[in-house]
Amino acid sequence: MSVVEPQVDSRDPAPAALDVRDLEVTFHRRGRDLPVLKGVTLRIAPGEAYGLVGESGCGKTTLAMAALRYLASNGTVDAGQVLVEGRDVSTLSDEALRKWRGEAVAMVYQDPAAALSPAMRIGDQVAEVFRYHEGLSKAEALKRARESLRRVALPDPDATLRRYPFELSGGQQQRVVIAMALAVNPRLLVLDEPTTGLDATVEAEILDLIEELRGRIHAAILLITHNLGLVARLCERVGVLYAGRVVEEGPAREIFTDPRHPYTMGLLRCVPRFGMNKTDAALQTIPGTLPALGEPLEGCVYSARCPMAKPVCIRREPDLYAWPGDGGPRGRAEAEAMPPEPAAFSPHHANPVGEAARHARCYFSAEVAQMPHLTPVLATSLEARGATAGAVLEIDDLVRTFRDGRRKLTAVSDVSLNLRRGETFGLVGESGSGKTTLAKCVTGLIAPDSGTVTFEGKRLRATAGRRSQDALRAIQMVFQNPDSTLNPAWSTRAILTRAVRKLGSGGSVRAKVDKLSADVRVEPRFLIQKPSDLSGGQKQRIAIARAFAGDPTLVVCDEPASALDVSVQASILNLLVELQTNEQVSYVFISHDLAVVRYISDRIGVMYLAELIEVGSAEEVFNPPHHPYTEALLSSIPTLDFGDRRERIALRGTMPSLSEPPSGCRFHTRCHRTLGDICVEQEPPVQEAAPGHTYKCHIPPHELLAAQATAEPAAPIKA
Amino acid sequence: MAAAGTTPDRRLDELQADAAAAAEQRRQRRYLVRSLLRSPTFVVGVLIVLFWVVMGVFSTTFTQPPALPHPFAILQSPSASHWFGTDDLGRDVFARTMAGAHTVLIIAPLATVLALLWGGMVGLTAGFYRGLTDDLMMRVVDAFLALPIIITAILIISLLGRSYAILILVIGALFTPVISRTIRSAVIGEREREYVMAARLRGERSAFVMAREILPNITQPIIVEGTVRLGYAVFTVATLSFLGFGLEPPSPDWGLTVATERLNLQAAPWTVLFPALALASLVVGVNLIADGLSSTFSK
Amino acid sequence: MARLIGRRLLLMVPTLILVSILVFALAEVLPGNLGRFILGPYATQSAVDQLNHNLGMDKPIYTRYVEWAGHFVTGHWGTSYQYTTSVFPLVMRALGNSLLLAGFALVIIVPTSILVGVYAGLRRDSILDRAITISSLSMTVIPEFVSGVILIVVFAVTLHWLPVQAMPPQGSPFIDRFYYLILPAIPLMLLELGYIARMARVGTVQVLNMPYVRTAVLKGLPRRRVIFGHVLRNALVPTVTVIGSQIGWLIGGLVVVETLFNYPGIGNYMVNAALNHDLPLLEACVLVVAVLYMLSNLIADIVVAFLNPRIRMGG
Repeated sequence: MSVVEPQVDSRDPAPAALDVRDLEVTFHRRGRDLPVLKGVTLRIAPGEAYGLVGESGCGKTTLAMAALRYLASNGTVDAGQVLVEGRDVSTLSDEALRKWRGEAVAMVYQDPAAALSPAMRIGDQVAEVFRYHEGLSKAEALKRARESLRRVALPDPDATLRRYPFELSGGQQQRVVIAMALAVNPRLLVLDEPTTGLDATVEAEILDLIEELRGRIHAAILLITHNLGLVARLCERVGVLYAGRVVEEGPAREIFTDPRHPYTMGLLRCVPRFGMNKTDAALQTIPGTLPALGEPLEGCVYSARCPMAKPVCIRREPDLYAWPGDGGPRGRAEAEAMPPEPAAFSPHHANPVGEAARHARCYFSAEVAQMPHLTPVLATSLEARGATAGAVLEIDDLVRTFRDGRRKLTAVSDVSLNLRRGETFGLVGESGSGKTTLAKCVTGLIAPDSGTVTFEGKRLRATAGRRSQDALRAIQMVFQNPDSTLNPAWSTRAILTRAVRKLGSGGSVRAKVDKLSADVRVEPRFLIQKPSDLSGGQKQRIAIARAFAGDPTLVVCDEPASALDVSVQASILNLLVELQTNEQVSYVFISHDLAVVRYISDRIGVMYLAELIEVGSAEEVFNPPHHPYTEALLSSIPTLDFGDRRERIALRGTMPSLSEPPSGCRFHTRCHRTLGDICVEQEPPVQEAAPGHTYKCHIPPHELLAAQATAEPAAPIKA
Repeated sequence: MAAAGTTPDRRLDELQADAAAAAEQRRQRRYLVRSLLRSPTFVVGVLIVLFWVVMGVFSTTFTQPPALPHPFAILQSPSASHWFGTDDLGRDVFARTMAGAHTVLIIAPLATVLALLWGGMVGLTAGFYRGLTDDLMMRVVDAFLALPIIITAILIISLLGRSYAILILVIGALFTPVISRTIRSAVIGEREREYVMAARLRGERSAFVMAREILPNITQPIIVEGTVRLGYAVFTVATLSFLGFGLEPPSPDWGLTVATERLNLQAAPWTVLFPALALASLVVGVNLIADGLSSTFSK
Repeated sequence: MARLIGRRLLLMVPTLILVSILVFALAEVLPGNLGRFILGPYATQSAVDQLNHNLGMDKPIYTRYVEWAGHFVTGHWGTSYQYTTSVFPLVMRALGNSLLLAGFALVIIVPTSILVGVYAGLRRDSILDRAITISSLSMTVIPEFVSGVILIVVFAVTLHWLPVQAMPPQGSPFIDRFYYLILPAIPLMLLELGYIARMARVGTVQVLNMPYVRTAVLKGLPRRRVIFGHVLRNALVPTVTVIGSQIGWLIGGLVVVETLFNYPGIGNYMVNAALNHDLPLLEACVLVVAVLYMLSNLIADIVVAFLNPRIRMGG
């Protein structure tokens, strides 16, 4: 155990906003002790923004909760300290803790809808902070609450005060949560996945708000996220967490451009870069799966998945060595000289605080830049996939409405599109844009109100129940949620066997099942398991195998990788690309992640409020001239590119209701390039920017191109 | 199992894989049983219920005949020869109390099974098809639930007369609405899951989806609901007997005994107290099992 | 809010019609030959025919239903065979007695059991919580006549603290009635305690795990404010729903308790009417109970809507 240092570092006049020292947290579950944080040390200077990155189960939320002294009842802090502004959090009395929360530290949560009290008016919830921290009267507190709402740019704060959470949109709810967190000017703001689950344009809004507030509030920020782009955009420094360990730490820019830990490198390589396409290169993947919570790991926590691992990595765990420096090689030499350390974890590792700017927990940091690429580059041109000119799927004037009480919601409005054999059609749009409904109409899970779906020249029956077994076999679907996509009561083999029985084209069922599981790289030993024993990635692989049971012609993929961690997501995307090349299948690929869609798609359709507003090749849609909405959507993605200084286009207002879509152009209420009355009154024409690239807008292609290609981006319209 | 064109080797292979899957299944079932046995409420509940089952079947082999009157020993307080005393006909209260489980333990479980069958069918159908079928079924269910069960039971039994079969049928029918509601909401929770959509895209028939896809995933709520209802079936049978709509004298049934002997309540409280306590222990036992099951399942 | 109530009231109409059909069918169709059923096997055929004619049994079934229902709506509930008096005042008096007993039990037990349940939920998994959970769980399944008998033996027969009768002697002041109602009310209360406390506990435990409670705590609010401002209101929603539907069990319990204590309430009348084939009285009692039950569910719905702004505003 390291000696406890004096609480205020003499070299540093201002104590750190957050100083976590050798923190160890264990969860106790069903009589087992699961170490979640293993000697985590990190330090955030006053006013600094620190990003803590990691995939699910690495302990990042646990760290935040430990910092706020709000661990679940089955979690204990076994060692280490959390100092906030030099005070040990564990020594606070109940009343001091209460005052400290809210005044010194505040938190913004992942799911704003759940974070707000459902039966209390917004005004009361925000005013509470003033009433209990500043002792204000109810009326005064409400007045201050109003100011707070104004500060986070909520339109019409007076009306918002009187609303209930469910009456606000997701973005507005998150603004309220931020307003509440900042109400009494805390010095440390913890953001736990603040934009996860929000739509891209809303996410951009919230990020803009946080960035803008940072200039005014001088609070230090701890940003917890799995999204590297978010960290690149908001944070000065970053720590990478893996299996309860900080494996790398340093200035964000350096870490993201020159990672010195194989895990960081792997993470950076496995997310599709903006503008990357499958014809260019395969995504790099990280082998293996994430360790389960508290799983015992030998030596370096990452050694089991590391492509650079050597025997010494398993022998003894490396420390967090300063980079650049000779700590790594020295540690390695020591480790090689020592007798093997027992596998059990021992917390003797060096405390890097205040010593160097960068640290990496690896013996081979110097070689990380040359880390081998594991995934071979795929040749996956359209020709290789046997693409033919003729359309496999044609959708004409498809309309689908739902009833919600007395209101009629149009989920898909007059959509037409076509798809060639071997082609991937990417469908993007924010939640509620109708992309999933459209997909379900294609597969027959939902019957359209009107319009036709033609498959290989024959018109399909509306619902799956009425389609022939041949039609069912040819069109299959991969779903979003790995936890519900497989029947939990069936073994994996039973699931695949049934699919082959119903959809397969004769031959040995057994052989086909074995081939399918081999194709999706699921080891045979997993076939006897129930889905609950598989990891998320494995479940999704089985679901893909199930869809391919009858050698389909078209597979509709509805966010197939969205629920997975990035390192797993890449391998699923690669698998889909590989299967497409081998089986010559067409995909309709739905995702809200534009980089993923850009990577996997040959052509892309953009949906907004039930309408397909733009269609074209992936390349064309992603470059000007494109629909103003597409333009805004693209500008909203945070990227890892530090040279990226694109102006973000802030859309006005919120998504209109599907029951009352705006007149004229549906996008006019939010458009930054609106021409005025014509957009309000007349439905826009379909303009052709290039052969096969069309969009619905009143602005003709050459004008759009001129506007969108200028160095001076359009001035964002403030709400 | 073996498909066309398989070699003997492959078939052996297949058998081994099936054996492995079956072993895996057994392992999981064993785990469930073990965690149930670690639940004190479950174990205590099972012991109580087992005790009464054994008594219901075998008590007459070692007690006096429950209906045997001792005209010279009426209303005697508990003693060595009559542990629980005697009633106004001089019958041994201990013998009657031990034998009293018999009738309840026949009627209540059968009624519950009947209600589970009917409720399962209604709940599955309504929850799976939704729409008009669901609306109609649930309206009828609502109407049944608009009257307290005891009252409907009184109404029906007073008109049909009393018998084992009628009691079983009536209680079974009256428990059907509640059970069908529980099962319906469990089915609705499952039917929107993606594996059900996958089954539809495979062209499975509705009956298959209901029986093979959905049903195995809602067995736990059904088992819990069944156990809870069993407790209430005992409750209901006893209450009906007490009110005079259940079994007829000289049955040693507990509810009936309390009803007939309560005239002697002041003079000989033991005639009423012991059957009442016996009944209480049985219903509590059943309920403890239900609690143990539901907390083990929800872990 | 008014629209919500109006709509719920309208929704009661079809249910009520269904229930009335059910009662009509059970009482007047099921026995087959009603005259024979009432007069028994030894009556002469001519007497049976005469009675059937008087009862209108020779008319077509839907005419009989419409007439029967019409009489009911207009307050002509017929004459009791047993008491040979008009049913309406008889039932109303009994209803008053029953409401007094049920109301007395509810007024005491609803706040008590909510308190107990919320307390157990806040002290989740403590010994006390386990004790409360197990005992309240057991209370819900012990029939009222069992707990009633045990209570009588202990408190009336052995200790002489409370009277065995449920009605004070003629001429006592009204306030005395409550003293006599304590013993009959306890079995009802025990049963309700189990249900309501269990639901309040579950609601509390669920809400305590909600992210918004974490928000409230991490906002630095005092514990008192977190519990009263954020937890309770949401935790009570399922409890209130259960209280509404529990009225059904309470009425079932009334039947038993009134019989056990020989208390002149609607449950006691109903049992006697059923045992003596007093159909007009039986039908009236059942329909009154059904209306009462639906009204109590309606009140529960309104309270839930009050607690949950989403329902209130969705109207």
